Amino acid sequence: MPTVKVLGPLLLALIAAVPIGAALWAVGAQMLDAAAWQALWADPQTWRAWGMTLWTGLASTALAWITVAHVLASGFIRQQLGRWLSHLPALLATPHAAMAIGLVLWLSPSGWALRLVSPGLTGFDAPPPWFTTQDPWGLGLILALWLKEVPFLLWVAATQMQREDLRRRWQAEYALAQTLGRTPAQAFAQIIWPQLAPRLRWPLLAVLAYGLTVVDMALIIGPASPPTLAVLAWQWLSDADLLTQSQGVAAAGWLTGTVLVSGVLMVVVLKALAASRPFASRGLLLQTAEDRAAVFHRGRLSLPPNVVWTLILGTYAAVWFALTVGSVSGVWPFPQVWPELWTLGAWQQVASSAHTVWTTLGLGVASASVCLLWSVAWLELAPRRWQQALQPWFLLPLVLPSVLWVVGLYSLALHTRLEGQWLGLSLAHAVMVLPYVLLALVPAYQAVDPRQAALVASLGHGRWVYLWRVKWPLLKRAIASAWAVGFAVSVAQYLPTLYVGAGRFATVTTEAVTLAAGAQRSLMSAYAALQMLLPILAFALAAWLGRPRRFEKIAPMKATP
Amino acid sequence: MTDTPKDAVHHGMNDGLHVHIERLGSALHALVSGLHLHVPPGEILTLMGPSGCGKSSVLAAIAGTLASVSEGLQPLQLQGSVQLNGRELAHLPTHQRGVGLVFQDALLFPHMTVAENLLFAVPVSDTRGNSSTNAQRQARVQQALQEAELTGMGERDPSTLSGGQRARVALMRALLAEPQALLLDEPFSKLDAALRAQLRPWVFAHVRERRIPVVLVTHDEQDVADPQRVVHLRAATEKGPAHV
Repeated sequence: MPTVKVLGPLLLALIAAVPIGAALWAVGAQMLDAAAWQALWADPQTWRAWGMTLWTGLASTALAWITVAHVLASGFIRQQLGRWLSHLPALLATPHAAMAIGLVLWLSPSGWALRLVSPGLTGFDAPPPWFTTQDPWGLGLILALWLKEVPFLLWVAATQMQREDLRRRWQAEYALAQTLGRTPAQAFAQIIWPQLAPRLRWPLLAVLAYGLTVVDMALIIGPASPPTLAVLAWQWLSDADLLTQSQGVAAAGWLTGTVLVSGVLMVVVLKALAASRPFASRGLLLQTAEDRAAVFHRGRLSLPPNVVWTLILGTYAAVWFALTVGSVSGVWPFPQVWPELWTLGAWQQVASSAHTVWTTLGLGVASASVCLLWSVAWLELAPRRWQQALQPWFLLPLVLPSVLWVVGLYSLALHTRLEGQWLGLSLAHAVMVLPYVLLALVPAYQAVDPRQAALVASLGHGRWVYLWRVKWPLLKRAIASAWAVGFAVSVAQYLPTLYVGAGRFATVTTEAVTLAAGAQRSLMSAYAALQMLLPILAFALAAWLGRPRRFEKIAPMKATP
Repeated sequence: MTDTPKDAVHHGMNDGLHVHIERLGSALHALVSGLHLHVPPGEILTLMGPSGCGKSSVLAAIAGTLASVSEGLQPLQLQGSVQLNGRELAHLPTHQRGVGLVFQDALLFPHMTVAENLLFAVPVSDTRGNSSTNAQRQARVQQALQEAELTGMGERDPSTLSGGQRARVALMRALLAEPQALLLDEPFSKLDAALRAQLRPWVFAHVRERRIPVVLVTHDEQDVADPQRVVHLRAATEKGPAHV
């Protein structure tokens, strides 16, 4: 019996840890190449690209962190967080690439923003030669990253704040702090935020790593000369020349070092900020506005909406709208606000290459399902101590650059003769998907009351009855949404699909990113819209599967003791 | 409540619950040691003591749920024996012990109606091994609802019940599983004084009716079911329990 108890989790740990370790080992071995590093240092693009990487990554992460603190404080104080966050799945389901493409449709010199004011205000009859997308300052990339990362951080925060045990405790502590003379904003800043912020540290590291290493988004909306270091590494990796390729591996290594060092620095800075009491007592920069809002709330007056959150929602809506209109646009001369010709041509083209959609669906369903099964088995079988010890290892795909992973996963696939194979590609997707599924499930599992298992056993039922009839039904919402998150992450994979798939597999994401470099606005929009639609369908399915039971409505009767 | 040697010889089919705890605790720290309890069928033993003295851990040792009690990294372990009607329980998993549990929170399953919560506990086969029909099981649920003074409320969402109603459903659910012993872990502590006073006699009457041994854990003197059967546990730092 004890051996079974150890063997199961051990096997599970190996299943997940070995591919991760082997991929890292493989890429590490390739990095021991002095010539490649010399070529990297000697390349004049390297340092400017690295500077651009630091700027876009750090700026977008800092902005996202401040925004999340602001939105959470505002929503918590107004007690509207639940309502606000109900929009989250749609925002989360919008892939990075689709967001970037949608922003390009608005911001480019021939985009909607200028069309709306031309020629009336600007006098332009033709698109101006402006760098409004792919701007050399990286502002477009920062904007796009910020828009994508805020919902992700909010979602992680929501998984914590909507845990029944934490929610109750924090509400009580928040009320208590106010009875001790704190204003609502101070109470949030001094009591809730210090407890919440450390729980967001890992996700924030992921956000930082993503910002520093993103490729697909940077290809679409990031600066071009020089691009960010991740894009440069990717260009080198896809080069035919072997030395250039190894220069790409070295760049991936340099990028990894950058992520690790800035990650450590970020944690140090956050801890220092948390420790400095004056900062905490000032209350998150929004004290007065939110306290006034809280007073309003008590007076039952309608509240002015939170500006930042409204802005984010509005931008998402604008992006979706632009993608929809773009995908059915035909001829569309510059200053006109609406296309001259509407056409379903792009969608017909998409339909005629249906295998692209099937590949996307197949990879998403397979990798999300495998990761969900593994995560549930792991959380059920592994002792709490193992889970805590190994969690950082399983989250590595989240924090190390994807240019690093593709090199490692590709050489792993080469060794196992799985390169360019469906199986190899779906396993590569699974490695990238696993940390998200695990992160989505862990809070729900931690919130399970251990007495419930004891109670069910005391009623004479074994473990399976407990799992199938009580625990999993109660966790079905978390389980379904973890699956949808995994599916969405798989759909959005760009680098692994191209690289480990050896270019033999086209998904809606690879198509959309490739088309973004060209001039086919409608086809690009159609693929971007589809890239967004598939995860949204998965989230809708998850919401339906995870819907809470509706009990018969009975007129509330006076409860008798 | 301490076993006399004579009792020990006569452990047999129907002499209730015998608990001998030589040592209960983690590897480093003993929570309870040298505790002997005997509860005959139909009697209610009250286990009292300050918080942290290991009252609930004693119940967990009897029910076999020590794994879910130890929140920390150090699991609690029992050295000793737990015998119920002559059957040694210490090495059995919880679901085979026939020991019912009621916690201070009713812990009704929120995704089931009140009736489904009760039905969940009704065994598929009766004590003689004959499988009961669905109608028979449903009839037992209806009877339990009636005893809990909740007739007609079976289809309700458990979260719409009052605290007292929930506590009654929790007790009926535990009893429907036909336990051979019942453990009540501060069952009244979440209720207000008036409700507690109403519920106490109802609970005691129902559990005595089953003719099974019952252990009640509480820190409220008023909860004592039978002044003849009270055991006080001291805080873990002191050595050994005292008997009243």
